[in-house]
Amino acid sequence: MPVGQLLVEGLAIGACYGLFATAVFWLAFVITMLFSILLGVLIEFLFLRPAKHPSILGMIVITLGAEMFLMGLASWKWGAEQKFFSLPLNPSVTYEPVKGMIINNWAIAVFAVTACIMLFLYIFFKYTKLGVAMRATQQNKHAAKIMGIRTERVFSFAWGFSSLIGAVAGMFFASRATLDPAFMMEPFLRAFAAAVLGGLMSIPGVIIGGALMGLIENFFGYYWPHWKPIIAFIVIILVLCLRPSGLFAKHYVKKV
Amino acid sequence: MMFKKKMLVSVIAVWAVLCIAQAAPAAPPAGFDDNEIRIGQWGPQTGPAAPWGSVARGSKLLFDIVNEEGGINGRKIKYFIRDDMYNPAQTVGVVKELVERQGVFAFVGGVGAACGMAVKDYLAANKIPWVGPSAADQDFIQPLNPYLFAVYPLYRDEANVLAQYIVEKLNMKKVGMLYQNDAYGKDGLEGAKERLATYKMSLVAEIPVEPTEKDLASQILRLKNSGAEAVLMFVNPTAAVIALKTAANVGFKPQWISSNTLSDYPLMFKISGGLWEGVITGAFGEIPDSTHPLMVKYREAAKRLNPQERWGTFYSAGILFADPLVEALKKAGRNLSTEAVMKALNSIKDYQTIGPKINWTEKQHQGTDSVMIQKCGPNASYIQLQGWTTNDLATWKKK
Repeated sequence: MPVGQLLVEGLAIGACYGLFATAVFWLAFVITMLFSILLGVLIEFLFLRPAKHPSILGMIVITLGAEMFLMGLASWKWGAEQKFFSLPLNPSVTYEPVKGMIINNWAIAVFAVTACIMLFLYIFFKYTKLGVAMRATQQNKHAAKIMGIRTERVFSFAWGFSSLIGAVAGMFFASRATLDPAFMMEPFLRAFAAAVLGGLMSIPGVIIGGALMGLIENFFGYYWPHWKPIIAFIVIILVLCLRPSGLFAKHYVKKV
Repeated sequence: MMFKKKMLVSVIAVWAVLCIAQAAPAAPPAGFDDNEIRIGQWGPQTGPAAPWGSVARGSKLLFDIVNEEGGINGRKIKYFIRDDMYNPAQTVGVVKELVERQGVFAFVGGVGAACGMAVKDYLAANKIPWVGPSAADQDFIQPLNPYLFAVYPLYRDEANVLAQYIVEKLNMKKVGMLYQNDAYGKDGLEGAKERLATYKMSLVAEIPVEPTEKDLASQILRLKNSGAEAVLMFVNPTAAVIALKTAANVGFKPQWISSNTLSDYPLMFKISGGLWEGVITGAFGEIPDSTHPLMVKYREAAKRLNPQERWGTFYSAGILFADPLVEALKKAGRNLSTEAVMKALNSIKDYQTIGPKINWTEKQHQGTDSVMIQKCGPNASYIQLQGWTTNDLATWKKK
């Protein structure tokens, strides 16, 4: 299901709005998480379920459409101007474990949260009944259905969880920049590119793809700032020419 | 059969629309009559640039005051604001609607260089004066557009003045620059380089930023390692906030200096979580709590006529962009015509209200080369550092 997970990146941002301004942080945090899950389930139910047999491309288009709809909704409700957003992490608290390598609370939190989510996903897909059902549904929906898996429910759950992860990523991004309805559009493109780089169907692949993408961008961006915005995409085109399913995908070719 | 019939009907419909559309463009209705002068402005009231929408509402305040004081030579001003959502395609639509349906005598303000570029030639073709675009663009003034009168200082001039301030007043020798990779940022870059060259200095780092970029880590590290004591920013509000937050993350604390586009301190202070304190910016108008008699008058009027509006730099900018048109309308007298107003606009000399001194001639429509320099103090307060400063290197003046 990592496709859905990456596609929803940013979808649940609407949830972050307003809540944070009005409530105590942790309460708001929990509510946002719950809301983002509901939102993900709702999107799957309203937009994806009615689409009969969508291809991956079809799904991407539907999700993009849903994202634009939500962005419009958010700017209608809360206004389109930039807002301040912060996590309770002081950005000015920095550590220098090795000379010349400065790390701050924000980055530590990102690493920690990503590691937790990855560990959870690994255990979930490998050992839980629902996780196995999800993998089965992804590989062959019809066979899974015949085996008694309620695939609709699996999709709902996948979207709910994807949306939750998207909301977490969105909050980290917003705390580093500003919050406005369209602010995840750019990271979303990069996240998608990272997923393509790593291999859409492999979770470690996606994470390594993301890390590679960040490293390539920043190293190139340092020496040739003019090239920073496009270098990642050049790399992806090269990778796709050489390994069309991404760097880490187990090559799966449908035989006719 | 049914299909053919439908086809025929739709062909006829399309044809009919084309015929009517061909016949429609007659001369646009006149922009004034014995009782009123119609003036228009486009500006983003919704959408991503909505915070700049206050410019159009600021001009409304000025026209309301003029009307309260009895209008101009017996005519009241009827003012139209149209929301274009900062989208040039929509700007064209709303401007055509105002010109061809309502009949508009002149336009004032208008946020966005791209939005202005989209309608510049249309307005000139219809002989409609356009005073005080709320954007700076070399293409507005060169080559000369007889109907366009610019108030806004050029970014190149502003960067020149800011660079001079950094070197001469702040005594900083290492200047880095973060600029948006478009006309706005590049004009700023040129200006800064031009000024530094006079001191035989050059920028220690020139870092471009794409307007949508969300990760500036490598750019900021580059600036940090260049040893820059001052960083000049010609970027958009979001990029500026990301730059400041990222710099705080890596312990980089230069003196930040920015163009006037980021001079709305309450907004910048809020969205940067207070990091904006200490940032120096250029400015095209008096500070909001200025004791300048006209500022006092406008501030009081705003409290009375538009109490829910925040009294900020962009709102008062709407006044100073429209001021010269009011002056020219007064000078043109009761016997109003476009020619008379054009003549009055072309003879505006050393005219100053709450903005820079404006000079227009028939050959030169860039009104000023001056900016002020201000600093964001605690709680988003304004500190005036330097009054109106002209750019003695302004290239457009030499032509």
